[in-house]
Amino acid sequence: MQQTNYLKWTRVLLAVLFFIPITLYFIDFAGILPDSMHRLLHLQLIPAILGGMVGIVLLQVILVLLLGRIYCSAICPAGVLQDIINRIFCIGKKKKKGTSRFRYTRPANILRYTLLGATILLALFGITELLVWLDPYSNFGRIAANLFRPVYIWGNNIIAGQLAKVDNYTLYHVTLKTVNAAGLTAGIIALLVFIGMVVFRGRLFCNTLCPVGGLLGLLSRYSLFTISFNKSSCNSCGNCERACKAEAIDSKSLKVDTSRCVDCFNCISTCKKSSLHYGINPLYKKAAKKEEQPVSSQNMAYNRRSFLATGVTVAATLPVISTVAQSVKEGKLTGGNEKRRPITPPGSINIERFKDKCTGCHLCVAKCPSQILRPAGLQFGLGYLLRPYVSYYNSYCNYECTICSDVCPTHALKPLTVEEKVTTQVGIANFYIDRCIVNTEEKDCGACSEHCPTQAVHMVPYKGTLTIPNVIPDLCIGCGGCESICPVNPDRAIIVIANEVHQQVSKPEEEEVLDIQIDDFGF
Amino acid sequence: MKRREFLKTSALAGAALTLNFEGLQAALSSNTMAVESAPDMVAVMGGEPAALLDKALEEMGGIGKYIKKGQKVVIKPNIGWDRTPELAGNTNPELIKALVKKCLDAGASKVTVFDHTCDEWRKCYNSSGIEAAVKEAGGIIVPGNEEKYYKEVAIPGGVKIKNAKIHEALLEADAWINVPILKNHGGAKLSSAMKNYMGIVWDRRFFHQNDLQQCIADICTWQKKPVLNIVDAYRIMHQNGPQGKSAADVATLKSIIVSPNIVAIDTAALGLFNQVKKLDMDAVGHIGKGEELKLGSTNLEKVNIKRIRL
Repeated sequence: MQQTNYLKWTRVLLAVLFFIPITLYFIDFAGILPDSMHRLLHLQLIPAILGGMVGIVLLQVILVLLLGRIYCSAICPAGVLQDIINRIFCIGKKKKKGTSRFRYTRPANILRYTLLGATILLALFGITELLVWLDPYSNFGRIAANLFRPVYIWGNNIIAGQLAKVDNYTLYHVTLKTVNAAGLTAGIIALLVFIGMVVFRGRLFCNTLCPVGGLLGLLSRYSLFTISFNKSSCNSCGNCERACKAEAIDSKSLKVDTSRCVDCFNCISTCKKSSLHYGINPLYKKAAKKEEQPVSSQNMAYNRRSFLATGVTVAATLPVISTVAQSVKEGKLTGGNEKRRPITPPGSINIERFKDKCTGCHLCVAKCPSQILRPAGLQFGLGYLLRPYVSYYNSYCNYECTICSDVCPTHALKPLTVEEKVTTQVGIANFYIDRCIVNTEEKDCGACSEHCPTQAVHMVPYKGTLTIPNVIPDLCIGCGGCESICPVNPDRAIIVIANEVHQQVSKPEEEEVLDIQIDDFGF
Repeated sequence: MKRREFLKTSALAGAALTLNFEGLQAALSSNTMAVESAPDMVAVMGGEPAALLDKALEEMGGIGKYIKKGQKVVIKPNIGWDRTPELAGNTNPELIKALVKKCLDAGASKVTVFDHTCDEWRKCYNSSGIEAAVKEAGGIIVPGNEEKYYKEVAIPGGVKIKNAKIHEALLEADAWINVPILKNHGGAKLSSAMKNYMGIVWDRRFFHQNDLQQCIADICTWQKKPVLNIVDAYRIMHQNGPQGKSAADVATLKSIIVSPNIVAIDTAALGLFNQVKKLDMDAVGHIGKGEELKLGSTNLEKVNIKRIRL
């Protein structure tokens, strides 16, 4: 009768192996996990596509063509998160209300593929809003960075406080500065959408809204291995249908919608007759046998129809999209009501490119040791929503730190060597002498120059023994050391203005190392 | 007696002259000092950090004169920047390591080290080598990056500063040792013992807003004075301070100066600094202001200084 469902447990194991490290990586503020762990994130499909990682995209295509959408049940953290939400929801509930609460529904293919088409088309026109809002990985990232991470840090602070009492400083207190209204709202919305959809309709997100689910669904119909019925032994009890989170099993007509099946293998466990099995796609068996093809031809016809409908919808909206795209882009460039440009992190090359490539997963926001990256709200326009911007309000960009560009899974932040980083100018410090303490109070200050790693901001003689800051723009990399420490309130006397396109500056000239010898104390 | 003493000295001097000049200085100073009590200040030149410290403390009467058994001790180096020791942005880690050991050997119940860093504190603690040094020596390195570690205290002697938030480790300490590195400084002009106080407070921006030089002098009037100031001049940063750009900003002087007199030690440190880069005493306003606040004397003639070459 029922055997151990090795497939399911393998899926669960894989899911754990991906989900736990990814989640820990997002919340680990102390840098306990190695930076190289960001490689795990390169397996995420949207980041891989945006990052132009052809090999990984191919690998994922091959994987789905061979095994089906195992990606959605194991690799995708948003998928696994939904399974976890489902697990939690089922706790203490009877089967009927819990694990077996689902029923077959017809796929919402028109919505699904229109959304997919629109997402892809808009992205091709450089408007990545839909992609940013729908990408499962980035939604997970926003939940992890803006919700899980604060909880983790809060817990850490409590324990750190206790340990400090016995002089143990292995853990230390952290004041979180990166979570703002934009990030919090994005995280909460994403989590609520997941919870709502999971509770009422299982993997509905993955099979209607998710562009990755849509894309993989197109391919998984043709996977070599799929779940299918053994019609002779099936007694149509409906257990499998009720256990299917994807609502993809029709126990009356004994069909499995393989475009929606996420390879969770729960159905196999529930079948007392062992009538469901994971094996060669019936599509290919039939093709080989060249025999009657009632079910699948119907299926195919249906698929073809929805495919056509999608195609037509997409084609019809194409001109509209391109017009919208054009006007939005122009609006952005002329700047409507002249919004201040965001400072983008080093490695982003220019604002436009960054907007196109960044999906707002907030990994860089979580990883920045100086906590200077913040998710944007609407202050830089809709086109920059949820992308990280640099804020020098509390702190500044550490001179030789490259972590944001190291970890970016989409390469929206191109990986930089330390040498490249220290010569990348993300903005230029602008000095306002009428606000400067040295001018207004006629007292020494120099905090800005003190914090300038390249001495682009250096002190020059002023009145008497006083010295006043002076900026050499060609040496400034816009790290914000000066701005962050300037004591003038509320408007600081030195402010970094963003470069629309990052510039390359030369390193401060290497001065000759003199062999200074003294023999005397000098006092 | 005097004559014999003089003859002996001359003979020694003569001998030393033929060998090396440093020998003469040492002989002279040890000879003249022998009859007096421990000096107010010791400067040692020409050795590795631990050896410099050894000699200086020995001349100052031994660590036991300053650190008593069972005391909670804080050592406050400069760990302001994400820089390796070679670049002289932070106090020498070997010096800190040796000092932590000395305090523990003297019977300190615990030795705590911290700084309110400028660069990201974990990077500073790590790159400076000080975190590792403290741990190796058996001390405790604590964070100084969060406002919650700082508690408000009154600074009644201050002109501009009347209250300041100071790190709790210092508030709890029975004794503390101020261990700056000698550097050029864009704002304060010179960073030495007095300037190192800025790392014990939370709100540095207030200093810059309200006459930096006066505030530095003010904070040094806090009633809990360091039992010793140890100016690390093994390497000094003679330009582009306090952060520095490259090795070209560094001069290796292999020296330290030790004194409980904070104004005198900074005056002396400026003298040492001046041999590498000219810097006017008037520009380093906080030293003069410290003297006005009776924190010590800028007149080194009145200070009993012992100068030693290893």
